[in-house]
Amino acid sequence: MAKQYGFYMDTERCIKCWACEVACKQWNGIKAGTIARRKVHEVESGTFPNVTRTFVSMSCMHCAEPACAAVCPAGAISKRGEDGIVVVDKEKCIGCHYCFFACPFGVPQYTDEGMDKCDCCIGNGVTPGDTPHCVATCPTKALQFGTMEELAEKVSGKTAKQMGAAAANPSVFVS
Amino acid sequence: MAKEGKLTRRAFLQGTAALGATAALSGCAGQETLEPSSAGAPAVEAGEAEVRHAWCQMCGPARTHCSTLCYIKDGRWTNVEGNPEAGNNWGRGSRSLCAKGNAAMAVLYAPGRLLYPMKRVGEKGEGKFERCTWDEAMDAIAAKLLEQKEQYGAKSYGVLSPQFYAVLGTMGRRFLNVHGSPNYMHSAICNSQRMFSRLVTIGGPAHAQATDTAPGQLDKTKLLVVWGYNSENSAINQGNPYARLNAIEKGLKVIDIRPMQDGLAAKADIWVPVRPGTDGALAMAILNVIIEEDLYDHDFVENWCNGFDQLAEHMKQYTPEWASPITGIPVEQIYEVARLMGTVKPMGINIGNGIGDQQNDGHWTVACACLIEAITGNLGIAGGGGAGMVAPPSLIKTKSIDVLTDKLPKTEEDEKNGFMAGVSDLVGPETPRWFQTMETQESGPTTAYFKGIMSILTEDPYPLRCIFGQSSNPLSATRQPKKVEEALKKLDFYVVMDTQWNSSCDFADYVLPACTNYESSYQFGTKNSADGTFIAINQKIAEPMGESRSDWEYYLDLAVRMGYGEDFWNGDMDACLREQLDGSGIDLEELRAANKGIFVERTDGAKPTEPKYQDYEKMFASLPGGKVQCYNEWIGNKPNCDDTGTISPLPVYNGPAESIAGTPDIAEEYPLVISDVHAYRLCNHSYYVDVPYLRELQPYPWVKINPATAKQYGIADGDWVKIESPHGWVKMVARYLESIAPDVLMSRRGWWQPCEELDLPGYDHLDGGSEINVLYDAELANFDPFNSAMSKQTLVKISKLEEGN
Repeated sequence: MAKQYGFYMDTERCIKCWACEVACKQWNGIKAGTIARRKVHEVESGTFPNVTRTFVSMSCMHCAEPACAAVCPAGAISKRGEDGIVVVDKEKCIGCHYCFFACPFGVPQYTDEGMDKCDCCIGNGVTPGDTPHCVATCPTKALQFGTMEELAEKVSGKTAKQMGAAAANPSVFVS
Repeated sequence: MAKEGKLTRRAFLQGTAALGATAALSGCAGQETLEPSSAGAPAVEAGEAEVRHAWCQMCGPARTHCSTLCYIKDGRWTNVEGNPEAGNNWGRGSRSLCAKGNAAMAVLYAPGRLLYPMKRVGEKGEGKFERCTWDEAMDAIAAKLLEQKEQYGAKSYGVLSPQFYAVLGTMGRRFLNVHGSPNYMHSAICNSQRMFSRLVTIGGPAHAQATDTAPGQLDKTKLLVVWGYNSENSAINQGNPYARLNAIEKGLKVIDIRPMQDGLAAKADIWVPVRPGTDGALAMAILNVIIEEDLYDHDFVENWCNGFDQLAEHMKQYTPEWASPITGIPVEQIYEVARLMGTVKPMGINIGNGIGDQQNDGHWTVACACLIEAITGNLGIAGGGGAGMVAPPSLIKTKSIDVLTDKLPKTEEDEKNGFMAGVSDLVGPETPRWFQTMETQESGPTTAYFKGIMSILTEDPYPLRCIFGQSSNPLSATRQPKKVEEALKKLDFYVVMDTQWNSSCDFADYVLPACTNYESSYQFGTKNSADGTFIAINQKIAEPMGESRSDWEYYLDLAVRMGYGEDFWNGDMDACLREQLDGSGIDLEELRAANKGIFVERTDGAKPTEPKYQDYEKMFASLPGGKVQCYNEWIGNKPNCDDTGTISPLPVYNGPAESIAGTPDIAEEYPLVISDVHAYRLCNHSYYVDVPYLRELQPYPWVKINPATAKQYGIADGDWVKIESPHGWVKMVARYLESIAPDVLMSRRGWWQPCEELDLPGYDHLDGGSEINVLYDAELANFDPFNSAMSKQTLVKISKLEEGN
């Protein structure tokens, strides 16, 4: 099987500093006040004083079986064979939002140019497979990148699990 | 260690010739939509971009914490990343940065940049200004300073020191000394406060080397107590959060004491949501339990403590039962924390701004934390307080700027009292006059920022006549902006130099446009590690916007105009830099040409070594009797900083001017406690609210509120609320947070900057605005009697505010 790159989100190390979100924007030339390819989410549970806060940084999951690509009527979304990165051809995108409804995670966002989402920074010059900027900038190494094999090794011994979402098979581990 | 000449040097030089070809950027440049295309290192390789070095400015002007690589494409700075050569954060190879660092470009291109010198033509506060030339402004400032020196004495001039700021700490201090004024107006909201308290309690050869309670070898620590310290906000990329998370993975236990469960507190084993401003009571109760339950190290106490029996007797009254209603922490939890601190070893304490300089009991709170660390036998042991590994020496030895301390005249009063030069003339001493020496304050005498400003109103002991404010907005940097505004209105002469029009500029006589450190090449720094030593200078990323100038140049220019040129390299900043580099083996041209800085590898195989453990004789040498001051004979029973009374030799707890347990009558009308975070990860104190990437994450001034409390007042998440204290009122947007006590609110100060790109306003600093400092008490008599720390907690009532926006 060809390589499949993905992310590992270690929630035990994420401190909600937002560095990944801002790095993503500056490197991908995204104007403030528009979209965010990567977002830091928060889950707060319990009641004071027995409260826990968990922070999770998420972007496109680069699924093994991307539902977005499957439904795209314009053939604008494709999964790259050599590295498994899911990319959008904005020239082809007709802005129908089908992909948004198909994506189990609500990842696709839209600008005047078409659907927009994470491409592991290959659009801004990062060699496919090299570290995307959100990962490189993470001050706590909470966010990591690699092939699914490399990531599986990294999370062995942790409670990390590959994200499950039925048929889509997201390329993301979370612990 | 290898001889300097034998070292391998790796310099990173690329494309500097293109520097001069960069188009000068002028006018107020807006942030354009950036088209995605090849960026960063790949673009440099492809010849499509240039890379230049800068020390990140986002933690404040003239900081040299994080070395960054800045990518310039078509004459515009488009991207930034951590410099992997420098050894940022976890060491060499790290390219990490915080959110602010990733947004740094906006600081250069901000639409709000000041471009020309301005002089006031209307009344103070009216906002009527006219453009003038640098010559006109500088001549006027020089003439006024000379005239005031003649008429009122040089001491009538003071400078605002908002946070550590290299220009101010070196050139600004040198100017003060040459001019003859001791009035360096230090914030009193600073690590310096904690260092004073540590120094007089657990020693250290001098102020900046005061014995530390924080673990020097975290990998050997079993219990870390994080107390009012939020490195996920204040120092994200400086190694602390990273190292702590590693240690937690390896089994470190953490107790995090602070009112709001922010990022790293969420990783702690025990979170202690102490009521803001009451940490002193908690510290005293913990000390009580450790002594009463005999959890202290008898051998240490017998040999190395002064007055332990007096302390033990004194602490009997401060039980957990006493502290619980003050702090809001259940009695059982106080016992639990005290017993852990008393039994788990090695234990270290991260003492943060939150407890040391953000409350009027700052000194005793820190002193009690130091005593806990000391009497449990945790000082100077591997994994305990201090005792860090000793790094091999720096391979690049630069000199610091001599601040010419000897130039500050010693007055007759100084001679008579045996004071350090200038101390008698301080307008509002930050620490007691008798305490200020070159060992306790190595940079010279200090006046407290707020006290200095208040002298204008009180004229006690005399009024300051000229204040120079550099990258500081006194209407947000200290307490009670209503009083500060009144003082600025009365002040004879106020000069501001800033990159943007801060809200205090309306009261200035002259406003000078500062360039950022991305537009000058004067700031250099080094980083030393086991691998080697890194040195780099800020390279010019753009020509200064408009007529803006470097803060460094300002001082040289002013000094020359005032006839102090000989002491200021006759105005030549490069000469000043060459003097600092002299003997380092690095010359200025080489440094300025290094686009990624210069890294000198360590080739002699030297490794960090273990320190000498339990070296108490040396550690406590500066303390009376060479012992830990359980009963403080250094500062006890001696005059306080205002000469209005004496300092207690044993711990005392006063509480904030308004508090639930301390002032129940006020609490009846104002039932909630409010405070604000000191440092925050999306701003630098009150600055950078204009930065689009940061502002979009938090568009409005916020107040965190427990949902149960909010619902009680009919406040929904996202509603504007009116927050009233006995001192003033502000409006903010309520944000639900379960991890905050129902009787506590937490906020963030600042918010005076508008964000043009996102069409979001700035907010006023008076009643009805959003500057939280308007809510706090600012009676000088309530400040910490030893270090001038001011309370940052008060009582408030809240209500939903219709049309708050």
